[in-house]
Amino acid sequence: MPKLIIDDIPVDVAPGTSVLEAARSVGITIPHFCYHPALAIAAACRLCAVKLLDGPVKGIQMSCSLPAQDGMVVSTTDPEALKLRELVIEWLMINHPHDCPVCDEGGECLLQDFTIAGGHSRRRYRGKKRTFKNQYLGEGICHEMNRCIECYRCVRFYQDYAGGTDFGVTGSAGRVYFGRFADGALESPFSGNLVDICPTGVFTDKTGRFRARYWDYQFAPSVCPRCSVGCNTSPQAYQREVIKIVGRRNDQVNGWFICDRGRFDKGYINAPERPREPMIDGTPASYDEALEALTARISEFVTVNGTESLALVGSPRLSLEGCLLLAELAQVLDGAQLCYFGDASLARGSVAAATLLNEQNAASMRDVEKADCIALVSLDLMEEAPMLALSVRKARAAGAQIYLVAGTTEASAAPLPFQYRTVGSLDEVPFEGGSKGVVVCGAGEQEPGVLAQIASLGAKLVLLQPGPNGFAAGLLARQHGAVSLSEAIAAGKVKGAVAFEADLADALPTGFMVLGIADWQACPPYRDAAVFLPTTVWAESCGTSINFEGRAQRFEPALKAGLPLRGLPEKYYAHGAEGVAREAAAVSPPAHPPRIPRAEIPGGQERECWRVIAALAEKLGGDRIAEPLTGKWSKLQHLDPEGGGVRVFSL
Amino acid sequence: MEQELVLFKHNRKHRPVTFAEYRKEGGFEALEKAVKKMTPAEVQQAVIDSGLRGRGGAGFPTGRKWSFVPRDLPGPRWLICNCDEMEPGTYKDRLLLEHNPYGLIEGMTLACYALGVRHAFIFIRKGYEKAAENLARGIAEAKGAGLLGERILGSEVSVDLDLHLSAGRYICGEETALINALEGKRPNPRSKPPFPAVKGLWQGPTVVNNVETLAAVPAIVANGPAWYKGLARIPEAAGTKLFCVSGSVAERVCVELPLGTPLREIIDRYCGGMRDGKKFKACIPGGASTQFLTADHLDVPMDYETVAKVGSRLGSGGVIVFDESHCLVAATLNLITFFARESCGWCTPCREGLPFVKEILQRIEAGRGEERDIELLREHIKYLNYSFCALAPGAMAPVDGLLAHFEDEVREHITKGCCPLAGKGGN
Amino acid sequence: MIPEELKIELEKQVASAVTPREAAVDVMKELQAHYGWLTDDAVVEAAELLGLSPLQVEELATFYEMIYRRPVGRKVIHVCDSISCWCAGSEELTDHLKKRLGLQLGETSADEEFTLLPCCCMGMCGDSPALSINGVPHGKLTPEAADKLLEQAE
Repeated sequence: MPKLIIDDIPVDVAPGTSVLEAARSVGITIPHFCYHPALAIAAACRLCAVKLLDGPVKGIQMSCSLPAQDGMVVSTTDPEALKLRELVIEWLMINHPHDCPVCDEGGECLLQDFTIAGGHSRRRYRGKKRTFKNQYLGEGICHEMNRCIECYRCVRFYQDYAGGTDFGVTGSAGRVYFGRFADGALESPFSGNLVDICPTGVFTDKTGRFRARYWDYQFAPSVCPRCSVGCNTSPQAYQREVIKIVGRRNDQVNGWFICDRGRFDKGYINAPERPREPMIDGTPASYDEALEALTARISEFVTVNGTESLALVGSPRLSLEGCLLLAELAQVLDGAQLCYFGDASLARGSVAAATLLNEQNAASMRDVEKADCIALVSLDLMEEAPMLALSVRKARAAGAQIYLVAGTTEASAAPLPFQYRTVGSLDEVPFEGGSKGVVVCGAGEQEPGVLAQIASLGAKLVLLQPGPNGFAAGLLARQHGAVSLSEAIAAGKVKGAVAFEADLADALPTGFMVLGIADWQACPPYRDAAVFLPTTVWAESCGTSINFEGRAQRFEPALKAGLPLRGLPEKYYAHGAEGVAREAAAVSPPAHPPRIPRAEIPGGQERECWRVIAALAEKLGGDRIAEPLTGKWSKLQHLDPEGGGVRVFSL
Repeated sequence: MEQELVLFKHNRKHRPVTFAEYRKEGGFEALEKAVKKMTPAEVQQAVIDSGLRGRGGAGFPTGRKWSFVPRDLPGPRWLICNCDEMEPGTYKDRLLLEHNPYGLIEGMTLACYALGVRHAFIFIRKGYEKAAENLARGIAEAKGAGLLGERILGSEVSVDLDLHLSAGRYICGEETALINALEGKRPNPRSKPPFPAVKGLWQGPTVVNNVETLAAVPAIVANGPAWYKGLARIPEAAGTKLFCVSGSVAERVCVELPLGTPLREIIDRYCGGMRDGKKFKACIPGGASTQFLTADHLDVPMDYETVAKVGSRLGSGGVIVFDESHCLVAATLNLITFFARESCGWCTPCREGLPFVKEILQRIEAGRGEERDIELLREHIKYLNYSFCALAPGAMAPVDGLLAHFEDEVREHITKGCCPLAGKGGN
Repeated sequence: MIPEELKIELEKQVASAVTPREAAVDVMKELQAHYGWLTDDAVVEAAELLGLSPLQVEELATFYEMIYRRPVGRKVIHVCDSISCWCAGSEELTDHLKKRLGLQLGETSADEEFTLLPCCCMGMCGDSPALSINGVPHGKLTPEAADKLLEQAE
């Protein structure tokens, strides 16, 4: 454990820690650009200079590439070090354009921060600035090469970390250029991370361009709902619109990055077609009216047909709280059929996976990275869990052998970013007893017998769920003996259902009654024949979800649900269209909130699904539910959303 | 005084020496002696004891560099001959190979034997195609005579030599950038540590040596280290050096001389003195990245330590002589322009700082310099030392020398508002 | 498209290198010799031969002085502008060539015969000032000697 002194503060760190990280551990931020904890050391920018006053090394050193050693005496404030840092900024400012007023990075720009920190102000260089032409890089990312400070983070991430081959650095000396061979969309499914990783505004989020400044954003810790990896995100919202989604660090799950689907696939949150009004048979109503109506219809239905004719349907995208309360509701309607899945095969696989996993055999992303031998079975990795592919890539870089079990893996559009061997069956994969082997398998639609066989190999397991909260759905389905909706219908008794953020099959038998739907998406063709209750998406919700390895993570609302201010319908403005026109004359584009005081957010009636279920349960005669996480789940009540999550096996 | 030649011993006028001639004059006897009568460790010790230092510019003791290769690391190890001679003012390696490729071939084979290397490369700069042809021919001839390839001279030692041709960038002469270039990557330098001797070409132990360094090894093995060391002119030096002279001398020659030969002697005796009756103003002793020496330094013995003592470096031995008609601000500007253009673009100080210095010198030379520019240059001299590799510090050496010895000339530009010599490059 | 014989030759070269990447510069030079300059298509062809992406080839091609990613004339003149040639009058030589060819540095003549470029030290310092035409070095060039050289070249 090297013991060193940094700015008169004694520091004790793990062997191998750099002086830069050692300083950070005692609250000292040494300015840096090219250094990034997730990437290999470059030591290119020369900004992280410190002076070693005493010890085994002396003089000016780059703190990012200097391992802390016993007896080092480090000064981050030595005049020589400060001068060098000031000069580095001055050198970068030789070419950096005066773009701050028009640059989206402003306010969240490392260059701004460290320029102020560095103390450089007046320009002494009299020459011209070099300029570049920009490239079209796709619909997600804007390219503004003039701003580049050549830290090489982008190419180190894109090529080394993510295995991309269509983006890199060309030229030499002052002409180095970071781009593609020719204009065209970036091919890597992780390209969006360039936005997060670039310390200046070369790569900015095109989908959120020119909408807001960093200090305008509302954001909160969230979890991506696109797959069962559960990457941590931070949706950034402004004026009731999610402007962009950025990755959030979780060393246990996604590290620093997220995939492009999680970043850019956010249209559903603010889509104009998103149903935001409670409806009864296609006619808008108030939330309480709709709840009352649904209660009445449920009561009527079970009186006529018996509780066993009603299915209560959740899904692998319903939060843990929603899933737990759905079981409560099923108890209130004693005899009602509890379903967490629509499709039978998805259900079987998911339940089996959640059952087979335990604290010892459930592999985390870190376990995958440290594995010696990885087998990929029955899955389209780039489709089902893209970030996991980067963990496999890391394992490969460390020397692991990767096997694709042939015949059972579909190749998706994106190539796998690692070398692998193809084998005919799982038997051919040389897992050595006790060695660090991991089997990665898509559990949904998998035969439970096959999964059990895989589990018996002795290797660790990644069993991917068919939805972001599939693990909880499977776990609870097993606990309550729930079957899938299709099985329940096939068994003959179920004649109607209420769906809670569930995808009902298009092919429901004729005469089947969908009494009510609680969801944030449109769900045709049933919406107009039922009671519709709009719910919040995860970015607007407080809730918990459990990822593929049984890790529970909490998410909090980044914004209150409601119609975005941009494109707010006329009816919210005084005098309708005229009012809009008046606003437009006053401010262009018309983005001023309507000048009518209002107690409710326009279009903001959505509620968290679990609250909807709780309300129904109470109206149907059950107890009032204040806290959805009870019993063994109560330990998750105060789960810290920034704490990396906690595995549920020990609960 | 007829001096003992090592590198130019077999030179012919107007044509390269032939394979037969080289052998007749003792060529490849050292190789035979080594593989038949010496151990690799003994060959290495001979080089250590000889005092041979790297001739490419850094002057690092060669035997010591070889000793950094771990004895027991598994996997292939590599030897690379650095023939990326692009230091302005330096043309000795080209002449050496155009006269005699066999010295290098024999030297590399000996080095491979000493280091346990099976496969070696010669990294050749663009423009040296004639030297490359000589080497290709020489390698084929040596192979044909059982002096290269499988089981040399019937021994258990096998060595293969391959040529790798570059496409033109000065940074490729930096040993870790060279390794990247050979691997087919962008030739940015690598961090040291790990040093190439431990992790180099394709992550294997690698030694990179200059052409002239390796070409001296056969004589060391044949005649012994004490003999080689004794060739020098002063006791602290060892062996001979190729000095290639350009600039304002009557005859621009490349001559092999004992290390420690005074600078004055090189110019007066071997180059016919200054040309056209011009007066010596300054010279660069060892290629573009070394500080100016003045007329006060003409009696300095040309060796690594002695030149370093007067604030410059022996470097590559590329001596560039300036006369009173040369504006040294313009000369420094020319040098900085070269370095700025050849920056690989990896680190901030080099990529941005060198164009900054160039802009300052341009303004001074054009008569638009200001008093504060001198302080600006001093800041850059000091802080460009903290770049990623040695290119930027080397680039600032002429600027350092300019301010150390010719600050008056710089100030004259500023106060007069023009170049007092009208920036003549000379003719 | 390069002729089949050249393709086979290059494939052999790539196969016999320690790694395909090691042969990258050679492959680029051969394709450039065939096309006159390394065209966009040539970059793609090189990529296929080397098992790299076009971008990965471009990263290398754009680093080096002697790989041209723009069209050049049939005769590329590189004039050394480093210090030893500067001492010997390279500035005058360059001005003379610019006038005679009617070109600025970096330009190609309208008839696509000549391209005039600066280059760094050629290692001809003892024979300065020096230039090369299509890589062939020539030294001790007075303006008159340069004229004669160009006449021969034409």
